[in-house]
Amino acid sequence: MSSPVVRLTLRGVLARKFRILLTILAVVSGVAFVSGAFILTDSVKSAINNLFVELRGEVDLEIRTKIAFGDSARAERDPVDISLMKDIAALDGVRLVEANLLRQATIIKSNGEPLQTSGPAFGISWTGPDGLDGRTLLEGVLPTESGKVAIDKASAKRAGYVVGDKVTLVGPIGKGEFTLVGLTGTGSTSGGGGASVSAFDPITANEFLGADNKADSIYVGLTPVATRGDIQKAIEEVLPSGYEVITGEQSAQETAGAINEIIDIFGKVLLGFAGISLFVSAFLIFNTFAIIVSQRLRELALMRAVGASTRQIHQMIIGEGLVVGIIATGLGLVGGLGVAKGITFAFNAAGAAFPAADLLISSRTVILSIVIGIGVTLAAAIIPALRAGRIPPVAAMRPELGFSALQRSKRLIVGIATLAAGIALFSVGLFVQPGGTVGTLGGSAIGAVFLFLGVASLSTTIAAPVSRIISRILPFPLRPMTNSVPGRLASRNAQRTPRRTASTASALMVGLALVSMVSVVASSVKKSFTDQLKASVTADFFVTNLSFQGLPVAFAERLAELPELGSVSPFRATVALVNGEEKQIGAVKPEIGDLVDIDIQKGSIDSLADGDILLYLDPARDLNVDVGDTVDITWQNGKRSTLTVGGIYADSSVAGNWLIGLDTLGKVSSAPPVDFFIGAKIADGISIEDARAAVEKVAADFPSAEVQDQAEFQKSQEDQLNQLLAIVYGLLIFAIFIAILGIANTMALSVFERTREFGLLRAVGMSRRHLKRSVRWEAIIVSVFGATLGIVVGIPLGIAVAIALPDSFVTATVVPINTIVTILIASIVVGIFAAIFPARRAAKLDILDAIATH
Amino acid sequence: MTQVSTSAAAGAINASKIYGKDDSEVRALDDVTVDFALGQFTAIMGPSGSGKSTLMHCLAGLDSLTSGRVIIGDTDLAQLDDKQLTSLRREKVGFIFQAYNLIPTLSALENITLPMDLGGIKPDQEWLDTVVDKMNLRNRLSHRPSELSGGQQQRVAVARALASRPQIIFADEPTGNLDSKTGAEILAFMKYAVTDLNQTIVMVTHDPVAAGYADRVIFLADGKVVDEVENPTAELVLDRMKHLGS
Ligand SMILES: Nc1ncnc2c1ncn2[C@@H]1O[C@H](COP(=O)(O)OP(=O)(O)OP(=O)(O)O)[C@@H](O)[C@H]1O
Ligand SMILES: [Mg+2]
Repeated sequence: MSSPVVRLTLRGVLARKFRILLTILAVVSGVAFVSGAFILTDSVKSAINNLFVELRGEVDLEIRTKIAFGDSARAERDPVDISLMKDIAALDGVRLVEANLLRQATIIKSNGEPLQTSGPAFGISWTGPDGLDGRTLLEGVLPTESGKVAIDKASAKRAGYVVGDKVTLVGPIGKGEFTLVGLTGTGSTSGGGGASVSAFDPITANEFLGADNKADSIYVGLTPVATRGDIQKAIEEVLPSGYEVITGEQSAQETAGAINEIIDIFGKVLLGFAGISLFVSAFLIFNTFAIIVSQRLRELALMRAVGASTRQIHQMIIGEGLVVGIIATGLGLVGGLGVAKGITFAFNAAGAAFPAADLLISSRTVILSIVIGIGVTLAAAIIPALRAGRIPPVAAMRPELGFSALQRSKRLIVGIATLAAGIALFSVGLFVQPGGTVGTLGGSAIGAVFLFLGVASLSTTIAAPVSRIISRILPFPLRPMTNSVPGRLASRNAQRTPRRTASTASALMVGLALVSMVSVVASSVKKSFTDQLKASVTADFFVTNLSFQGLPVAFAERLAELPELGSVSPFRATVALVNGEEKQIGAVKPEIGDLVDIDIQKGSIDSLADGDILLYLDPARDLNVDVGDTVDITWQNGKRSTLTVGGIYADSSVAGNWLIGLDTLGKVSSAPPVDFFIGAKIADGISIEDARAAVEKVAADFPSAEVQDQAEFQKSQEDQLNQLLAIVYGLLIFAIFIAILGIANTMALSVFERTREFGLLRAVGMSRRHLKRSVRWEAIIVSVFGATLGIVVGIPLGIAVAIALPDSFVTATVVPINTIVTILIASIVVGIFAAIFPARRAAKLDILDAIATH
Repeated sequence: MTQVSTSAAAGAINASKIYGKDDSEVRALDDVTVDFALGQFTAIMGPSGSGKSTLMHCLAGLDSLTSGRVIIGDTDLAQLDDKQLTSLRREKVGFIFQAYNLIPTLSALENITLPMDLGGIKPDQEWLDTVVDKMNLRNRLSHRPSELSGGQQQRVAVARALASRPQIIFADEPTGNLDSKTGAEILAFMKYAVTDLNQTIVMVTHDPVAAGYADRVIFLADGKVVDEVENPTAELVLDRMKHLGS
């Protein structure tokens, strides 16, 4: 770039700094999200890795049972026999051997409520800070006898307990009263990494946690002189078959890895929303540059006239984009730190107890932020730059010739082609689903981008007529806009620059189309769920545990004994290999037939009691088996079974594809069982109130369980979905906010451009109020136009997604009318909001100044 | 018909410019042949819509002819692509418009040297000083256009046109926006540039007094050259205009 171009570029930016400020703001927020997502995931992952390395403390080796297949960290392993510990301890070089036992144990607060944590609630066996486990004792003493417990300091604080207090805990087999003797920490933190941790001495732990002289694994610590490899070999020789020895590091990595996967998913979701924000900011950047180019038409033409080449004009406009991109990316990186801190803070406030992490900015974060921030800005500035290059030198004296050069484009053809490509990609992604989840998401996301670009481009064609219609039918405030002078002006102005109106509206379209799409999908999911519940669930009560840790099996056993209840069945789940493929298999009691209508086609549900397996139609067809045939199954612990098909059913919405009896599962797996949920039916002749009272009485001993009837169950499921929706909408708000900035920016630029015109209007007697109103109404027309586009585009997208989702999940398609009305009304508010600053500016214009401006 | 002489700075041969098509066709220039001798100050006059601006734009390479040829020096503009036209405008041609002559974000000096800066050429400092002093802009050089009066702005425009020593300068109603005294100053500078600095200037004007500064006046009507006066005075020009008008 030669020096006058650099000079002109920098001067250009400086001369329009306020006009460019909003553009920068839009890019900053996008980049901040991108870098924030990376910073957050990097920092938390590294903190979690450190935490687990610290937790494994002095564990050099770990002994556990083998699994036949599947993910190591999440596998349901058979427990190990603690009698093995003697043999290991006797080996040379072994310093210390400990049983690792970790089960569900909920802390009950003094008011009787269970302590809510964002993570799981654990009870563990602990030999204290001198043992192998990396936990620290922060206060009090080690629990060494029955009736004593140590709790992590953060949980004790949140529950309001201090050393010496009596604490009630609920374990897998029941309640217990303990004296709090110590407070523990993990590594450098005073918490349990988001979990609540209650630590007992090994004997108490074995009893209270119902371990039955078994442990999850055995930790081994070595003497300083021992060679780990040799001892690992020696242990392997002692171990019975079905056992394995791994290093402490591997164990830490596996556990941390499972959590890191979740954090990565979280990070990707955040990145997805960052992408949406950036996409919307691209519209804003594009718009600002396009408007600035048309406002500088004369200046650019003059430059051409005195000898600037087309290339120099391109360089100048792109250069301004570069300046914006660089500033915005720099600020965005700083903003990313804020985003990461803010999210950590929000989660910690909700009890997540993220380990205190130093925020890590990796070079990958910096490079990607720079590429994305500057890339998006430049990409958005290219078309305005190319257009600027087309301005002929004569336009210095005949601006109208310049305008026609700016307008020229093959919009219709390009728009239709882009839209068609978008629809094609979106449909292929959604319905053909090439390459699994990645292909589905990637294909439909890229398709949606093209689709939005196509609609944005085509909407220029309809911007003028639609603006006219909107201004005619919007009863604002009480009669059509066009009945008053400000309204007519607003309407004409929106129609005067259809390209500007369309691209400003399109930014809003993107956000609102996504909102409409999500709301269609969500309504369809809700409706399908309600339909399924009505059609196939006959249970009167459901018991669930919202902390995802499952329910102690004792609960279902005690419910089954209640005379007030008829059929009771828990629902357990496991994974197994069927025909070489990993499948989710449900384990239930034959009573399930009274609780869920699985629409049995052949055979009988009672065959579950004989150790048979029930199949849904699809897998039965795939395996080509019928009642009486057999199915070969490999369980995760390596055991194999050949089960007879006892029945084939036609409704998999609750039951899933495979069902076995609880006893069948119990025979092959000795992993500590937990129940997902329990269904129960009231016994004949018992009133619902009496039955409920009886159930609640049992539930009092299992405070983390939630008892619900059908209506409550349905509502709680809907609440969960609504919570998810709230988060999605919350993240989309950023994209919508950027679009609002975009409308404000365009309006401000237009007001600036029309300074003279406004001066004239004021000179001939228009009041400030009317002028303001006219600007405000124009903004409203633009945002209602954007909302309309968003709804028109978003609803079909939502319907397509609802159709593409599997039938076990979504069977109905619902278009939520109230959401659509809300969006339309909200868009009017958006318009009013976006016009605040530009309208004020227009009203402040001094008449004389306005007319004198050239 | 006059022939384009070899000593001409620029000229047009059978130049026609047609706007629009069929019914709405406008012949802005109708077979115009004219040349401008080196070191001469020519004024172009004629009623509104007679094609004066169009002729200038085409001569200056800002716009293209429908048919005919334009020659600057010994270059036929029809042979040039956009890139070559750009450098021709930068190096061989200077402009002064009626208004909007300056880039608002650049200082007066930066505006003056803009064509050379764009071409990556170092201005001849001695010449630049001469021009700046002649235009009386010495203590205005660091000002932005918005800080200059209309007359000062036009002087900066003249200085810019002169600074690169172009083959020819075109001015379209350079004094149209100025009061008569300021206008007279600008015209005097232009006259000086022609007589003392041997610059060639072509100027469109409506003002007989302005035309009086020129060495020669060409009259256009309906896209045709209809008359010509050598060594005009304001009275002479006014007289001819009355004739043409009737
Ligand atoms: N872009 C255009 N499209 C159509 N017609 C045009 C265009 N530019 C000029 N004309 C027409 O060409 C004719 C000559 O215009 P031109 O601007 O050269 O006149 P002029 O002599 O400079 O007038 P004035 O003294 O008013 O500036 C006019 O009739 C004008 O309407
Ligand atoms: Mg003219």
